[in-house]
Amino acid sequence: MNRAIYPFYFGIATLIVYSIFFVVPGLMGIYYSFTDWNSYSDEIRFIGFDNLAKIFSGEAKYLSYIENTLVFTVSTVVLKTALGLLFAIMLNDGVRAKGLHRVMLFMPSIVPMLVVGLIFKSILNPASGLLNESLRAIGLDFMAQKWLTDLNWAFKSIIAVDIWKGVGYIMIILLAGLQSIDKTYYEAAAIDGANFWQKLTRITIPLIVPALVVTTVLNLLHGLKVFEAVYVLTNGGPGYATDVMYTAIFKEFSTGNYGMGTALSSVLFVVMTLLGYFVVRLMSREGDER
Amino acid sequence: MKKWTMTLLSVFVAMTVVLAGCGGNNGKDANGGSASPSAGAGGSSEQGGSKKNVTLTYMASQGWIKDSEMELAKKFEEETGIKIDFQIVPADQYFNVLKTKLNAGEGPDIFGGQSGYSEITMNYNVEKNAVDLSDQEWVKREDPLSVEQLTVNGKVYALTIWDTYSSFVIGYNKKLFNELNLEIPKTYEEFKNAALKIQQAGVTPIYEPIADGWHHVMWFSEIGPNYDKLEPNLYDDLNQNKKKFVDSQVMLDSLTQLKEMYDLDFFGDNTLSDTGSDTVAKLGSGEFGMSLVAQSVATEIAEEYEEFEIEDIGFFPIPLTDNQIYYINPGGPSKFIYSGSKYIEEAKQYFNFLTKQENLQFMLDNDPTISNLNFPDLKNKYTAEQQKLFDSYQERGTDIQNYVNYVNPQWMDIGKDIVAMLSGVIQPVDVLRSIDQRRAEMAKVAQDPNWK
Repeated sequence: MNRAIYPFYFGIATLIVYSIFFVVPGLMGIYYSFTDWNSYSDEIRFIGFDNLAKIFSGEAKYLSYIENTLVFTVSTVVLKTALGLLFAIMLNDGVRAKGLHRVMLFMPSIVPMLVVGLIFKSILNPASGLLNESLRAIGLDFMAQKWLTDLNWAFKSIIAVDIWKGVGYIMIILLAGLQSIDKTYYEAAAIDGANFWQKLTRITIPLIVPALVVTTVLNLLHGLKVFEAVYVLTNGGPGYATDVMYTAIFKEFSTGNYGMGTALSSVLFVVMTLLGYFVVRLMSREGDER
Repeated sequence: MKKWTMTLLSVFVAMTVVLAGCGGNNGKDANGGSASPSAGAGGSSEQGGSKKNVTLTYMASQGWIKDSEMELAKKFEEETGIKIDFQIVPADQYFNVLKTKLNAGEGPDIFGGQSGYSEITMNYNVEKNAVDLSDQEWVKREDPLSVEQLTVNGKVYALTIWDTYSSFVIGYNKKLFNELNLEIPKTYEEFKNAALKIQQAGVTPIYEPIADGWHHVMWFSEIGPNYDKLEPNLYDDLNQNKKKFVDSQVMLDSLTQLKEMYDLDFFGDNTLSDTGSDTVAKLGSGEFGMSLVAQSVATEIAEEYEEFEIEDIGFFPIPLTDNQIYYINPGGPSKFIYSGSKYIEEAKQYFNFLTKQENLQFMLDNDPTISNLNFPDLKNKYTAEQQKLFDSYQERGTDIQNYVNYVNPQWMDIGKDIVAMLSGVIQPVDVLRSIDQRRAEMAKVAQDPNWK
């Protein structure tokens, strides 16, 4: 074993900064999730698992926040990856002005979510929004919906907006993956008479697994920590129908229930760590097999 | 192994040093902060007593300090030499900033706050943080209902100068009512029929900006005094936890009626996306017939729409559960003196100055949003329609959130519950149940003996 070249104390400064700014706050957050810390009283009492019990008891809609977050995450992961891959393949080769199209698709990613949200809030306004007005103008009145206030549509609208904004970013990563694939594979496959589908499943996808791992992890984390999209489009409404973990956490903090807020964050932290770990494990193993 | 122990130990030691350093800095900051005004105070001796060179910091949320008060503050400075330094904080951040300052023991000399027992005890802990003002002369003149809102255990903690009588009422298009031969409704049934007739005439009956999140809750809360009348002693029983919201039939009726109005499309198709900033336009354009509005809306409509005069908008209180009581919100943004202030006497002097009769009248005359104040013998600016409203509804009562504990702090949550009820996800009784649940949580936190 190679003994360290530098003496250990060279690392102390970094270790201190790391501990103060990352380890200690993290541990404190987990500690506070077992307390009733709030803005109404000075003392912080240790209450064990009360907060967690409340989250998982099914009362107070916490479970529906978790469910919404998971639905959001799964649908954005699947749809963004599928659409991103589709766009990437389309714009990889053989399309005119592909640079322009790539830029157009990527554009929404550089706009802040709050701005996107505000714009879509007006586009999706049931009475005066661009979408419904357009639908009415071309005679598709029956398709006009109360996009953000109808229970059946509100969450789907949020997911759609998030995909619109995020798909370009995923496309760029996958595009980079596609371009690293050697063209000779496709030529060889073509000589063997492989069709598009066979090329896709036998060459393209196996070879861009590393890129897919990256996009999946990014989408997963993005999905689990979704906040702005919901906050600005519906603020969790109508009622609590579109509330997710982070809007709930935000609400707990703004009402002064810091203990409950940190408990929710801790739950999310554990879920994120576990999911992230398994996804990376799973997908990198698949990549190694090749 | 030994090295690791060493490392951990040294990290621990280093951290302790750094953290201790932080603490030290804090202490220094606190001293520095309070030192600067005292330097100003040092100059007071040269002035020879009559004028002092003192600066009072006064922190408040946006909209709480009227321009006319700032003018008065200048006059006050000319007379006494005491300068008022206004620190205005945006409304959505105000309570966090204030609470942080109070908890850190670094409050401003004067701070603004909302009123109501649970608000001032739980959010500002006035018994610790504010100065007892019970012996001040103006306490005797201020509307007793307002004073009561800022009293804890018999001690008055704040001064309220606010237009407490101009509640949100239903403003209606009088021309439309005349065309359709409609009378001012006295019961929910009459109100419903009037709305149905308006609907048949092709006008949406009520503009209700639910998207704002807070506005629609007033339909439920403002008519509280009627609940208390129909179910005697309800308010007190709720405060003593002898009764819960769920136990009240009349509150359930009220929510059920609100739901019926929504189901009958009285609020129009777009109500969940509507916002209050459009109210004037929606009423002025004739697209809507009524709305739950501040009474100053009549003036705004008359200014913006030629076909409307001030008298074309009439008023009546919310008639759900057949309410005929003019509900008031006797509290309002109030002024507290911080108990840790060095200039308590000067701050009291400022309050005395503001409450002089001529200064109150000055404020009233010079502010378009105020039509009267909660002090007697002032010349009000009520319009004919407002006067008519006050004369027609002599019975008065306090709305729920200003009497019943733990309601005001959960206002926005109630708003969400009501939206969930309107969209059919939960039943009216569930709304009441959630209110009870949140009250119990708050009471537990506040260690309220009635909830033990």
